Amino acid sequence: MIPKGDVVPELSAAVADLVVDCTGLACPLPVVKTAQAIKNLARGQVLELLATDPGVEPDMRAWSSRTGNDLLGIDKQADVFRILIRRVK
Amino acid sequence: MWADESETKILYVQTHGITDPGRSATPFFLAASAAAMEFEVMIYFTMYGPTLLRKDVVDKIGPKGDQGQPLRYFIEQATGLGVRLLVCQPSLDLNDLSLDDLIDGVEMIGGAAFNSLAASADAVISF
Repeated sequence: MIPKGDVVPELSAAVADLVVDCTGLACPLPVVKTAQAIKNLARGQVLELLATDPGVEPDMRAWSSRTGNDLLGIDKQADVFRILIRRVK
Repeated sequence: MWADESETKILYVQTHGITDPGRSATPFFLAASAAAMEFEVMIYFTMYGPTLLRKDVVDKIGPKGDQGQPLRYFIEQATGLGVRLLVCQPSLDLNDLSLDDLIDGVEMIGGAAFNSLAASADAVISF
């Protein structure tokens, strides 16, 4: 787990092609909305998911690994997780 | 009945019905998550499970009874991702229901089909 408030520098510099704001939404919506939204990206483009669901980190690691997409990183500021995923498949 | 034998396949089984709303939504949540992971997913409603699919129920109750989102919301979240919903005739008879009493899109199977689906699934998860 990433400690609260920790910022991963390389993540801060990354620019997403699409932001999906799931703050305030509970499981399974962050996973479901990410799965739907990533279809709007071309392969190689990056999706940024914002979420407050406390289980989102293991969920998105599982989702990325199962769907063959590339989880670039996760950071957390206050209660908001920021997750960057590159569409591969 | 599985469309693609090469996909990961999960079969959920829901045995609880409208008398226990707190047990009504989780199979839909998990099925939606699995479908979002590009698994092939079905939910089989048996025993009291088919009552959750009644046309006259899905807008009235949810996991917190008459508060919060109704069942239709969770059902459509799952089916919108490709989750298939299955029932069998004896379970409809048990609850005095016919297929016409249920929301659209529910598929009828029998015990042999269920067992075949279960035997070829990667996981069967029963509630």
